[in-house]
Amino acid sequence: MSVKNISITPGWEKYMTKEYQDLVERGPYGKQKKVSEMGSFKEVLEEHPMCAGCAMTLFIRLTMVGLPNPEHTVLIGTAGCGRLALTQTSIPFIYGNYGDTNAVASGLKRGLEVRFKDQAKDVVVMAGDGGLADIGFSAVMHSWFRKERFTTIMLDNEVYGNTGGQESGMTERGALLKMAPKGKMFEKMDMMGLAQTAGVAYIARLTPTNPTRVASVVRKAVMIAREVGPTFIQAYTSCNIEYAIPTPKVLDDAREIEAKRYGFTEIISDEAKAYLDSIDTSKKVKK
Amino acid sequence: MYLVAHIDQAICSETACRLCTQYCPEANTILYDNAAKTAFVAVDRCKGCEICVGICDDLAKHHAIKMVMITDLENQFEMSREGFRPDHWDGKHS
Repeated sequence: MSVKNISITPGWEKYMTKEYQDLVERGPYGKQKKVSEMGSFKEVLEEHPMCAGCAMTLFIRLTMVGLPNPEHTVLIGTAGCGRLALTQTSIPFIYGNYGDTNAVASGLKRGLEVRFKDQAKDVVVMAGDGGLADIGFSAVMHSWFRKERFTTIMLDNEVYGNTGGQESGMTERGALLKMAPKGKMFEKMDMMGLAQTAGVAYIARLTPTNPTRVASVVRKAVMIAREVGPTFIQAYTSCNIEYAIPTPKVLDDAREIEAKRYGFTEIISDEAKAYLDSIDTSKKVKK
Repeated sequence: MYLVAHIDQAICSETACRLCTQYCPEANTILYDNAAKTAFVAVDRCKGCEICVGICDDLAKHHAIKMVMITDLENQFEMSREGFRPDHWDGKHS
Protein backbone atom coordinates (compact mmCIF):
# COMPACT_ATOMS: atom_id res chain seq x y z
CA MET A 1 0.00 0.00 0.00
CA SER A 2 2.81 2.34 -0.88
CA VAL A 3 5.62 2.39 -3.39
CA LYS A 4 7.88 1.02 -0.67
CA ASN A 5 5.74 -2.09 -0.39
CA ILE A 6 5.85 -2.65 -4.13
CA SER A 7 9.60 -2.14 -4.64
CA ILE A 8 11.84 -5.19 -4.49
CA THR A 9 14.22 -5.82 -1.59
CA PRO A 10 17.78 -5.21 -2.90
CA GLY A 11 19.42 -8.45 -3.97
CA TRP A 12 16.14 -10.23 -4.66
CA GLU A 13 15.49 -8.79 -8.12
CA LYS A 14 16.50 -11.94 -9.99
CA TYR A 15 13.98 -14.04 -8.08
CA MET A 16 11.08 -11.84 -9.09
CA THR A 17 9.18 -12.39 -12.35
CA LYS A 18 9.99 -10.24 -15.35
CA GLU A 19 6.53 -8.66 -15.22
CA TYR A 20 7.03 -7.58 -11.62
CA GLN A 21 10.46 -6.07 -12.29
CA ASP A 22 9.00 -4.15 -15.24
CA LEU A 23 6.18 -2.87 -13.06
CA VAL A 24 8.52 -1.56 -10.38
CA GLU A 25 10.87 0.09 -12.88
CA ARG A 26 8.43 1.30 -15.53
CA GLY A 27 5.11 1.35 -13.73
CA PRO A 28 2.78 4.33 -13.28
CA TYR A 29 4.04 5.26 -9.83
CA GLY A 30 5.09 8.70 -8.69
CA LYS A 31 3.71 10.67 -11.59
CA GLN A 32 0.15 10.63 -12.89
CA LYS A 33 0.17 8.90 -16.28
CA LYS A 34 -2.02 10.16 -19.09
CA VAL A 35 -4.24 8.12 -21.36
CA SER A 36 -2.19 9.37 -24.31
CA GLU A 37 0.88 7.66 -22.81
CA MET A 38 -0.73 4.23 -22.80
CA GLY A 39 1.44 1.63 -24.49
CA SER A 40 4.60 3.38 -23.28
CA PHE A 41 4.43 2.50 -19.59
CA LYS A 42 3.83 -0.72 -17.72
CA GLU A 43 0.24 -0.81 -16.53
CA VAL A 44 -0.85 -2.00 -13.10
CA LEU A 45 -3.26 -4.38 -14.83
CA GLU A 46 -1.71 -7.64 -16.00
CA GLU A 47 -2.98 -10.43 -18.24
CA HIS A 48 -6.37 -11.68 -17.08
CA PRO A 49 -8.94 -14.31 -18.03
CA MET A 50 -11.77 -12.01 -19.17
CA CYS A 51 -13.39 -12.60 -22.57
CA ALA A 52 -11.85 -11.22 -25.75
CA GLY A 53 -13.17 -7.78 -26.67
CA CYS A 54 -14.98 -7.19 -23.38
CA ALA A 55 -15.95 -3.56 -22.89
CA MET A 56 -15.72 -4.05 -19.13
CA THR A 57 -12.06 -4.97 -19.49
CA LEU A 58 -11.46 -1.79 -21.45
CA PHE A 59 -13.21 0.25 -18.78
CA ILE A 60 -11.20 -1.39 -15.98
CA ARG A 61 -7.95 -0.79 -17.87
CA LEU A 62 -8.80 2.90 -18.29
CA THR A 63 -9.87 3.15 -14.64
CA MET A 64 -6.46 1.90 -13.54
CA VAL A 65 -4.85 4.71 -15.56
CA GLY A 66 -7.24 7.23 -14.04
CA LEU A 67 -6.50 6.36 -10.40
CA PRO A 68 -4.57 9.30 -8.90
CA ASN A 69 -2.41 7.13 -6.63
CA PRO A 70 -2.57 3.42 -7.49
CA GLU A 71 0.02 2.73 -4.77
CA HIS A 72 -2.30 4.17 -2.10
CA THR A 73 -5.50 2.55 -3.31
CA VAL A 74 -7.46 -0.49 -2.19
CA LEU A 75 -9.97 -2.11 -4.51
CA ILE A 76 -13.04 -3.92 -3.29
CA GLY A 77 -15.06 -6.19 -5.52
CA THR A 78 -17.31 -9.15 -5.34
CA ALA A 79 -18.46 -12.13 -7.40
CA GLY A 80 -18.93 -11.15 -11.01
CA CYS A 81 -16.89 -10.67 -14.15
CA GLY A 82 -15.01 -7.56 -13.03
CA ARG A 83 -13.05 -9.27 -10.29
CA LEU A 84 -11.40 -11.54 -12.89
CA ALA A 85 -9.40 -8.50 -14.03
CA LEU A 86 -9.37 -6.59 -10.74
CA THR A 87 -7.53 -9.45 -9.04
CA GLN A 88 -4.81 -9.21 -11.71
CA THR A 89 -3.80 -5.67 -10.77
CA SER A 90 -0.92 -4.74 -8.51
CA ILE A 91 -3.43 -3.02 -6.22
CA PRO A 92 -4.63 -4.72 -3.02
CA PHE A 93 -7.99 -6.30 -3.75
CA ILE A 94 -10.58 -7.39 -1.20
CA TYR A 95 -13.08 -9.95 -2.34
CA GLY A 96 -16.20 -8.90 -0.45
CA ASN A 97 -18.99 -11.37 0.05
CA TYR A 98 -21.81 -10.78 -2.38
CA GLY A 99 -23.77 -7.84 -1.05
CA ASP A 100 -21.37 -6.40 1.50
CA THR A 101 -18.86 -4.54 -0.70
CA ASN A 102 -19.90 -1.07 0.45
CA ALA A 103 -20.14 -2.16 4.09
CA VAL A 104 -16.58 -3.53 3.91
CA ALA A 105 -15.42 -0.36 2.17
CA SER A 106 -17.00 1.84 4.87
CA GLY A 107 -15.12 0.07 7.66
CA LEU A 108 -11.90 -0.10 5.69
CA LYS A 109 -11.94 3.59 4.81
CA ARG A 110 -12.58 4.60 8.42
CA GLY A 111 -9.80 2.31 9.59
CA LEU A 112 -7.35 3.67 7.03
CA GLU A 113 -8.14 7.23 8.08
CA VAL A 114 -7.24 6.37 11.68
CA ARG A 115 -4.13 4.39 10.78
CA PHE A 116 -2.70 6.73 8.09
CA LYS A 117 -3.33 10.27 9.24
CA ASP A 118 -0.71 11.86 6.95
CA GLN A 119 -1.36 9.89 3.78
CA ALA A 120 -4.66 9.83 1.93
CA LYS A 121 -5.71 6.28 1.11
CA ASP A 122 -8.31 5.73 -1.56
CA VAL A 123 -10.92 3.00 -1.36
CA VAL A 124 -12.63 2.10 -4.62
CA VAL A 125 -15.50 -0.36 -4.90
CA MET A 126 -15.81 -1.88 -8.37
CA ALA A 127 -18.59 -4.37 -8.81
CA GLY A 128 -21.24 -5.26 -11.31
CA ASP A 129 -24.82 -4.13 -11.58
CA GLY A 130 -25.96 -7.27 -9.79
CA GLY A 131 -23.47 -6.82 -6.97
CA LEU A 132 -24.40 -3.19 -6.34
CA ALA A 133 -27.99 -2.62 -7.47
CA ASP A 134 -29.52 -5.98 -6.54
CA ILE A 135 -27.67 -7.98 -3.94
CA GLY A 136 -25.58 -5.19 -2.44
CA PHE A 137 -28.32 -2.60 -2.72
CA SER A 138 -28.92 -1.92 0.97
CA ALA A 139 -25.21 -1.63 1.76
CA VAL A 140 -24.74 0.74 -1.18
CA MET A 141 -27.64 2.98 -0.17
CA HIS A 142 -26.66 3.07 3.49
CA SER A 143 -23.05 3.89 2.74
CA TRP A 144 -24.29 6.83 0.66
CA PHE A 145 -26.68 8.05 3.32
CA ARG A 146 -23.87 7.82 5.91
CA LYS A 147 -21.67 9.90 3.54
CA GLU A 148 -18.85 7.38 3.61
CA ARG A 149 -15.87 8.79 1.75
CA PHE A 150 -15.10 6.27 -0.99
CA THR A 151 -15.85 5.74 -4.66
CA THR A 152 -18.41 3.24 -5.93
CA ILE A 153 -18.00 2.23 -9.56
CA MET A 154 -20.77 0.18 -11.11
CA LEU A 155 -19.72 -1.94 -14.09
CA ASP A 156 -23.18 -2.01 -15.62
CA ASN A 157 -23.40 -4.82 -18.18
CA GLU A 158 -27.16 -5.03 -17.62
CA VAL A 159 -27.11 -8.78 -16.99
CA TYR A 160 -25.70 -11.47 -14.68
CA GLY A 161 -23.01 -12.37 -17.19
CA ASN A 162 -21.12 -14.83 -15.04
CA THR A 163 -24.00 -17.16 -14.23
CA GLY A 164 -25.67 -17.59 -17.59
CA GLY A 165 -27.68 -14.46 -18.38
CA GLN A 166 -30.26 -13.74 -15.69
CA GLU A 167 -31.89 -10.31 -15.67
CA SER A 168 -30.69 -7.82 -13.09
CA GLY A 169 -32.31 -4.69 -11.73
CA MET A 170 -30.28 -2.70 -14.24
CA THR A 171 -31.45 -4.67 -17.29
CA GLU A 172 -33.56 -2.65 -19.72
CA ARG A 173 -37.27 -3.38 -19.83
CA GLY A 174 -38.06 -5.92 -22.55
CA ALA A 175 -34.50 -7.24 -22.88
CA LEU A 176 -34.50 -10.90 -23.97
CA LEU A 177 -31.91 -13.00 -22.22
CA LYS A 178 -31.19 -16.71 -21.86
CA MET A 179 -32.64 -16.76 -18.37
CA ALA A 180 -35.28 -14.09 -19.11
CA PRO A 181 -36.89 -15.68 -22.19
CA LYS A 182 -40.07 -13.60 -22.05
CA GLY A 183 -38.13 -10.37 -21.76
CA LYS A 184 -37.66 -8.35 -18.61
CA MET A 185 -40.98 -7.06 -17.33
CA PHE A 186 -39.76 -4.15 -15.19
CA GLU A 187 -37.99 -0.86 -15.75
CA LYS A 188 -34.24 -0.38 -15.36
CA MET A 189 -33.43 0.92 -11.88
CA ASP A 190 -32.60 4.60 -11.70
CA MET A 191 -29.39 4.41 -9.68
CA MET A 192 -28.41 7.95 -10.66
CA GLY A 193 -31.65 9.27 -9.16
CA LEU A 194 -31.18 7.19 -6.02
CA ALA A 195 -27.63 8.48 -5.67
CA GLN A 196 -28.89 12.04 -5.96
CA THR A 197 -31.54 11.42 -3.33
CA ALA A 198 -28.91 9.99 -1.01
CA GLY A 199 -26.77 13.09 -1.45
CA VAL A 200 -23.80 11.57 -3.29
CA ALA A 201 -21.24 14.33 -3.93
CA TYR A 202 -20.30 13.31 -7.46
CA ILE A 203 -22.33 11.15 -9.81
CA ALA A 204 -21.29 10.27 -13.35
CA ARG A 205 -22.70 8.04 -16.05
CA LEU A 206 -20.58 7.14 -19.04
CA THR A 207 -19.53 4.53 -21.60
CA PRO A 208 -15.96 3.57 -22.49
CA THR A 209 -16.17 5.28 -25.89
CA ASN A 210 -13.88 8.11 -24.79
CA PRO A 211 -10.77 6.84 -22.93
CA THR A 212 -9.60 10.27 -21.78
CA ARG A 213 -13.00 11.02 -20.32
CA VAL A 214 -13.10 7.71 -18.42
CA ALA A 215 -9.73 8.40 -16.82
CA SER A 216 -10.61 11.99 -15.92
CA VAL A 217 -14.00 11.03 -14.42
CA VAL A 218 -12.35 8.32 -12.29
CA ARG A 219 -9.70 10.79 -11.14
CA LYS A 220 -12.31 13.37 -10.18
CA ALA A 221 -14.44 10.78 -8.36
CA VAL A 222 -11.51 9.48 -6.33
CA MET A 223 -10.25 12.97 -5.45
CA ILE A 224 -13.72 14.11 -4.33
CA ALA A 225 -14.17 10.93 -2.28
CA ARG A 226 -10.97 11.79 -0.38
CA GLU A 227 -12.26 15.07 1.00
CA VAL A 228 -15.94 15.63 0.34
CA GLY A 229 -18.12 12.54 0.36
CA PRO A 230 -19.32 9.46 -1.50
CA THR A 231 -18.96 9.34 -5.28
CA PHE A 232 -20.65 7.09 -7.81
CA ILE A 233 -19.80 6.18 -11.39
CA GLN A 234 -22.20 4.15 -13.48
CA ALA A 235 -20.47 2.77 -16.56
CA TYR A 236 -22.05 0.94 -19.47
CA THR A 237 -19.81 -2.05 -20.09
CA SER A 238 -21.72 -4.32 -22.46
CA CYS A 239 -21.59 -8.10 -22.14
CA ASN A 240 -20.77 -9.21 -25.66
CA ILE A 241 -21.51 -12.85 -24.78
CA GLU A 242 -24.98 -12.54 -23.25
CA TYR A 243 -26.10 -9.78 -25.61
CA ALA A 244 -24.47 -11.55 -28.60
CA ILE A 245 -22.44 -8.57 -29.83
CA PRO A 246 -19.63 -9.59 -32.24
CA THR A 247 -16.36 -8.38 -30.71
CA PRO A 248 -15.42 -5.99 -33.58
CA LYS A 249 -18.80 -4.27 -32.96
CA VAL A 250 -18.44 -3.81 -29.19
CA LEU A 251 -17.52 -0.14 -29.39
CA ASP A 252 -20.09 0.53 -32.12
CA ASP A 253 -22.69 -0.86 -29.73
CA ALA A 254 -21.35 1.33 -26.91
CA ARG A 255 -21.59 4.40 -29.16
CA GLU A 256 -25.12 3.49 -30.19
CA ILE A 257 -26.31 2.95 -26.61
CA GLU A 258 -24.54 6.14 -25.55
CA ALA A 259 -26.44 8.11 -28.17
CA LYS A 260 -29.75 6.42 -27.35
CA ARG A 261 -29.98 6.31 -23.57
CA TYR A 262 -26.58 6.32 -21.86
CA GLY A 263 -25.21 9.76 -22.64
CA PHE A 264 -22.41 11.20 -20.52
CA THR A 265 -23.94 12.82 -17.46
CA GLU A 266 -22.18 14.41 -14.53
CA ILE A 267 -23.94 15.57 -11.36
CA ILE A 268 -21.64 17.37 -8.97
CA SER A 269 -22.47 19.00 -5.65
CA ASP A 270 -21.44 22.61 -4.96
CA GLU A 271 -19.05 21.52 -2.24
CA ALA A 272 -17.39 18.96 -4.53
CA LYS A 273 -17.11 21.54 -7.30
CA ALA A 274 -15.48 24.04 -4.94
CA TYR A 275 -13.02 21.35 -3.84
CA LEU A 276 -12.11 20.44 -7.44
CA ASP A 277 -11.55 24.11 -8.25
CA SER A 278 -9.37 24.50 -5.17
CA ILE A 279 -7.06 21.62 -6.13
CA ASP A 280 -6.82 22.95 -9.67
CA THR A 281 -5.75 26.40 -8.53
CA SER A 282 -3.24 24.97 -6.05
CA LYS A 283 -1.61 23.14 -8.98
CA LYS A 284 -1.40 26.37 -10.95
CA VAL A 285 0.25 28.17 -8.03
CA LYS A 286 2.92 25.46 -7.79
CA LYS A 287 3.86 25.89 -11.45
CA MET B 1 -4.22 -21.58 -35.66
CA TYR B 2 -5.67 -18.21 -34.85
CA LEU B 3 -5.70 -14.57 -35.91
CA VAL B 4 -3.90 -11.75 -34.16
CA ALA B 5 -3.76 -8.04 -34.88
CA HIS B 6 -0.89 -6.86 -37.00
CA ILE B 7 0.06 -3.22 -37.51
CA ASP B 8 1.54 -1.96 -40.75
CA GLN B 9 4.34 0.15 -39.35
CA ALA B 10 4.94 2.07 -42.56
CA ILE B 11 1.43 3.53 -42.32
CA CYS B 12 1.40 3.85 -38.53
CA SER B 13 4.71 5.70 -38.24
CA GLU B 14 3.39 8.50 -40.44
CA THR B 15 0.68 9.30 -37.91
CA ALA B 16 0.81 9.85 -34.18
CA CYS B 17 -2.78 9.03 -33.26
CA ARG B 18 -2.10 6.24 -30.72
CA LEU B 19 -5.81 5.47 -30.59
CA CYS B 20 -5.39 1.68 -30.77
CA THR B 21 -3.22 1.72 -27.64
CA GLN B 22 -6.08 3.43 -25.78
CA TYR B 23 -8.96 1.30 -27.01
CA CYS B 24 -7.39 -2.17 -26.71
CA PRO B 25 -9.11 -3.95 -23.80
CA GLU B 26 -5.97 -5.87 -22.90
CA ALA B 27 -3.24 -4.24 -20.82
CA ASN B 28 0.15 -3.66 -22.48
CA THR B 29 -0.86 -5.50 -25.63
CA ILE B 30 -0.70 -2.77 -28.24
CA LEU B 31 2.53 -1.02 -27.34
CA TYR B 32 3.94 2.23 -28.61
CA ASP B 33 7.53 2.57 -29.70
CA ASN B 34 8.41 6.23 -29.14
CA ALA B 35 11.71 5.95 -31.04
CA ALA B 36 10.23 4.44 -34.20
CA LYS B 37 6.94 6.36 -33.70
CA THR B 38 4.78 3.33 -34.30
CA ALA B 39 2.46 1.02 -32.45
CA PHE B 40 3.05 -2.74 -32.45
CA VAL B 41 1.37 -5.80 -30.99
CA ALA B 42 2.54 -8.19 -28.29
CA VAL B 43 1.15 -11.27 -30.04
CA ASP B 44 1.14 -13.48 -26.96
CA ARG B 45 -1.34 -11.11 -25.29
CA CYS B 46 -3.64 -10.45 -28.25
CA LYS B 47 -6.99 -12.19 -27.88
CA GLY B 48 -8.05 -11.36 -31.44
CA CYS B 49 -11.14 -9.26 -30.67
CA GLU B 50 -10.56 -6.90 -33.65
CA ILE B 51 -11.57 -3.77 -31.73
CA CYS B 52 -8.33 -2.10 -32.83
CA VAL B 53 -9.12 -2.86 -36.49
CA GLY B 54 -12.42 -1.00 -36.19
CA ILE B 55 -10.74 1.89 -34.37
CA CYS B 56 -7.98 2.23 -36.97
CA ASP B 57 -10.39 1.92 -39.94
CA ASP B 58 -13.41 3.92 -38.76
CA LEU B 59 -12.18 6.33 -36.09
CA ALA B 60 -8.60 7.08 -37.13
CA LYS B 61 -9.16 6.23 -40.85
CA HIS B 62 -5.59 5.00 -41.25
CA HIS B 63 -6.33 1.38 -42.18
CA ALA B 64 -3.04 0.19 -40.71
CA ILE B 65 -4.26 -2.81 -38.68
CA LYS B 66 -5.18 -6.17 -40.18
CA MET B 67 -5.89 -9.55 -38.63
CA VAL B 68 -3.31 -12.14 -39.70
CA MET B 69 -2.60 -15.80 -38.92
CA ILE B 70 -0.08 -15.98 -36.14
CA THR B 71 1.93 -18.55 -38.14
CA ASP B 72 2.38 -16.03 -40.97
CA LEU B 73 4.17 -13.53 -38.75
CA GLU B 74 7.92 -13.16 -38.64
CA ASN B 75 9.91 -11.39 -35.97
CA GLN B 76 6.84 -10.92 -33.79
CA PHE B 77 7.05 -9.43 -30.32
CA GLU B 78 6.23 -11.63 -27.35
CA MET B 79 5.88 -9.93 -24.00
CA SER B 80 6.46 -13.11 -21.99
CA ARG B 81 9.85 -13.59 -23.67
CA GLU B 82 11.18 -10.04 -23.85
CA GLY B 83 9.38 -8.21 -21.08
CA PHE B 84 8.40 -4.55 -21.12
CA ARG B 85 11.67 -2.87 -22.12
CA PRO B 86 10.95 0.26 -24.20
CA ASP B 87 14.68 1.10 -24.42
CA HIS B 88 15.29 -2.05 -26.44
CA TRP B 89 12.43 -1.76 -28.93
CA ASP B 90 13.67 0.82 -31.41
CA GLY B 91 11.59 -0.38 -34.33
CA LYS B 92 12.98 -3.89 -34.26
CA HIS B 93 9.63 -5.64 -34.18
CA SER B 94 7.22 -6.28 -36.98
